[in-house]
Amino acid sequence: MARVRGRLAQLGQGWGGLGLWWLLLAALALYPYTGVTHLTLFLGSQVFVLVTLASNWNLIGGMTGYVDFGHAVFFGIGAYVMGILVTKSPLLVSPEWGFLQALPVSGAAAAIFALLIGLPTLRLKGPYFSIAMLGTFVAMREIVRVLRPLTGGGVGLNLPPVLNRLGDYYLMLVLMGLVVSIMWWIRRSEFGQSLIAIREDEIGAEMRGINTTLHKILAFMIAAFFTGVVGGFWAWQNTFIDPDVVFIETRTVEMVMMSMLGGLGTVWGPPLGAVVIYVLQTVVWGRLFGIHLLALGILMVLLVLFLPEGILGTSGRGGGTSIVRLWGRIRKRSDP
Amino acid sequence: MGPYPETVRSVTDGSRPLLEGRGLTKRFGGLTAVNRVDFAVQPGEIVGLIGPNGSGKTTLFDCLSRLERIDGGRVLFKGTDITRASPHRVARMGLSRTFQVIRVYRKMKVLDNMLVSRRWSGDSYLRVMRSSSAEMVRRARELLEFLRIAPLADEPAGHLSGGQRRLLEIGMALMPDPDILLLDEATSGVNPTLIETIKDHIRTLNGQGKAFLLIEHNINFIADLCTRVYALNHGETMAEGTPREIMENDAVIDAYFGA
Amino acid sequence: MDQVLQALVNGLLLGGFYAVMVLGFSVIWGVMGIINLAHGEYLMIGAYLGWGLFRYFGMDPFAALLLILPLMFLFGYVLQYVLINRIVERPHLMSLLITFGISIALANLFKILFTSDPRNVSVTYNGSVELLGITFPIVKSIIFGAALLCMLGLHLFLQRSRMGKSIRAAAQNRTAARIVGMDINRTYAVTAGICIAITAAAGAMLSPTQAIFPFMGPPLTLKAYTITALGGLGRIPGALMGGVVLGVTETMVSRFVPGIGTNLGVAISFVILVLILILRPQGLLGGLRPVDPEAE
Repeated sequence: MARVRGRLAQLGQGWGGLGLWWLLLAALALYPYTGVTHLTLFLGSQVFVLVTLASNWNLIGGMTGYVDFGHAVFFGIGAYVMGILVTKSPLLVSPEWGFLQALPVSGAAAAIFALLIGLPTLRLKGPYFSIAMLGTFVAMREIVRVLRPLTGGGVGLNLPPVLNRLGDYYLMLVLMGLVVSIMWWIRRSEFGQSLIAIREDEIGAEMRGINTTLHKILAFMIAAFFTGVVGGFWAWQNTFIDPDVVFIETRTVEMVMMSMLGGLGTVWGPPLGAVVIYVLQTVVWGRLFGIHLLALGILMVLLVLFLPEGILGTSGRGGGTSIVRLWGRIRKRSDP
Repeated sequence: MGPYPETVRSVTDGSRPLLEGRGLTKRFGGLTAVNRVDFAVQPGEIVGLIGPNGSGKTTLFDCLSRLERIDGGRVLFKGTDITRASPHRVARMGLSRTFQVIRVYRKMKVLDNMLVSRRWSGDSYLRVMRSSSAEMVRRARELLEFLRIAPLADEPAGHLSGGQRRLLEIGMALMPDPDILLLDEATSGVNPTLIETIKDHIRTLNGQGKAFLLIEHNINFIADLCTRVYALNHGETMAEGTPREIMENDAVIDAYFGA
Repeated sequence: MDQVLQALVNGLLLGGFYAVMVLGFSVIWGVMGIINLAHGEYLMIGAYLGWGLFRYFGMDPFAALLLILPLMFLFGYVLQYVLINRIVERPHLMSLLITFGISIALANLFKILFTSDPRNVSVTYNGSVELLGITFPIVKSIIFGAALLCMLGLHLFLQRSRMGKSIRAAAQNRTAARIVGMDINRTYAVTAGICIAITAAAGAMLSPTQAIFPFMGPPLTLKAYTITALGGLGRIPGALMGGVVLGVTETMVSRFVPGIGTNLGVAISFVILVLILILRPQGLLGGLRPVDPEAE
């Protein structure tokens, strides 16, 4: 069993993993032709959003080891840049195409903010970074609330409703395919290896010639860019933003949880974690109103206690992936 | 034959020291850990650094490799002032080191530990976006062979024993083909046979033109390898000379065994 | 001039509350090395307890402390024994994640139980007295006094009692304390119990002064963190100093910078925090335990 897992892990990092991923993308691209409803397309694009967010968070939180408890701030910035551009900018050609024009701007704004905030905060180690980012997030929500002329303050902004569920579906599919492929690529590259080296021992990495500041900032900016793009997309799809729906802790919690559940620092863990949590959310606790975050919080505690490496993560200590060892432990306990 | 290029890159003209410290000073609050230390390592030389615990040896290393901020004095490497340079730049210039408390990337495979320690200078960032070149992988495997830990290449570094990790650290320091290696207690926690192996490695590498600066408590190790030794006490240079001179120096004996 | 003095007094009173609110956070960090992200939620629970006892039993929030303290001690003791003790010796990331999880679970549990509508406790003595031309709000002055009392009590406990000495020993060297036969798990559980009880008491004291809602926690956690960075770990005078500095800064800024609401208090404490962390990562007074990336 453990050997099978080991092979799976190798397949994941090799071309085979990427091939399977593209096959899956192709299947998803054909899916709308099987005659599905608008609702299904909408839910599909929501799952793609979750997968993309989890993968992005994993780049800075899982691979680089800088656990970002405020990553939703980039989502919020992306959403607000989209909102402001679409409602206030005279430059956009038409709502429908203007949206596509504004999308990269959303990402770029988030990336630039990541650069500015990352220069001071990425110098902080471990918990200090996590809390500084949590602070950035909370502070940004208040700032957005205060900048009423630009952001509409607590009232929020209404975006022109242009309903195109099929377009949304394909846009998010492409974005998700791209982001996960980039993560696969980074994980294999020397850049990605250096990020993991930084996670394992930052001083050691710096002393061995890795420009740790540059690496961290780059990783942070990439993660922020795509999170910002997703934020812009979300604002467009939701057609309404205000500080409380955009800067919501849930978003960060979901990113952290999905990455953790799937396996921090792995390529396929966060997408898997995102799908698992989505399914849990809709099937298991979806019918109980408002229980989603309570369940996520409890799940996070349980994960830390029993499965800290996630489903696909391998521990530095024992052999095999951690879920295999957990299963072994459970079996050992059940037959004395 | 080791995995090194036959031709030694000539990095300095003979007259200039490879690594030089002038009046180096480092303070921690009220404590002066390194106090106006002068020293020099010539190209191709093996220099020892001894002293009782707490005499400032590792702090001096940390200053040289730029891990610690230097409070006074200058460091020159290949004639360039690196007193304020960032650690990764110094490493890229050809200064490698190991650590008293071993630093390996525990969750990465041994081979990957080697690969991320390669020489980074002169590459564009586009190169870094690709995976390690076949040439680097070959070099890493040869070095692991040379250090006799090749069978462990696919193990996570966290699984290795203390002695094996020391060897891996030396391997990681050798990956960039440095001009000078700073080894901080390379023999502690290593069994006697392995110490002999390390000694042989150092001689081989020195034969290829690499300079060494060694912090050691193992006096035989120093005596066998070094041409010159600096003895530190309370952060100051107490004596300098050949290993024999140092071992017969009264101040050194006093410092070690108490007066 | 009067305005400056008034703002100073307001800041001082706020600082007293901040000091007692931060104690638990600071001591847990100092003793166990855990940065407790659920800290604000313990305050929130305390505030809800204060509100509940007031609303349904007509109990005065300050009198209710006699009930809240033992209740939350028990809660903290059990929580520590069942959950946190299992991860105390694991990497920092784990304690961050587990307390983050607890924080989210608690906030949302309370949202399900009590909805997210803000609740208020309106006590009869909600006025103020004037003294030498300066207004002293009665409730905030009582909080200030109670805060000083709590700090004094905790100080005496840590310095004088046998348990307090064990706690300080465990803070300095876990392994050594274990070798000499101390029951570390119990010591930690007692520490957590005391810290969480004091925190919840602070929350209950807060209930007459501001609206209570399930998501009031995270900004308070952030402030606790800032104050700890200002005043140092586990030091009671430091907590008072840090609390007063933050309190005075907040009131001064919101009083004299035009167009800034108290909402931005969080933003201010964040700016202070980041500045301290960057300029002096060891904390303003050098009391923050360095977070060792090697610690496993």
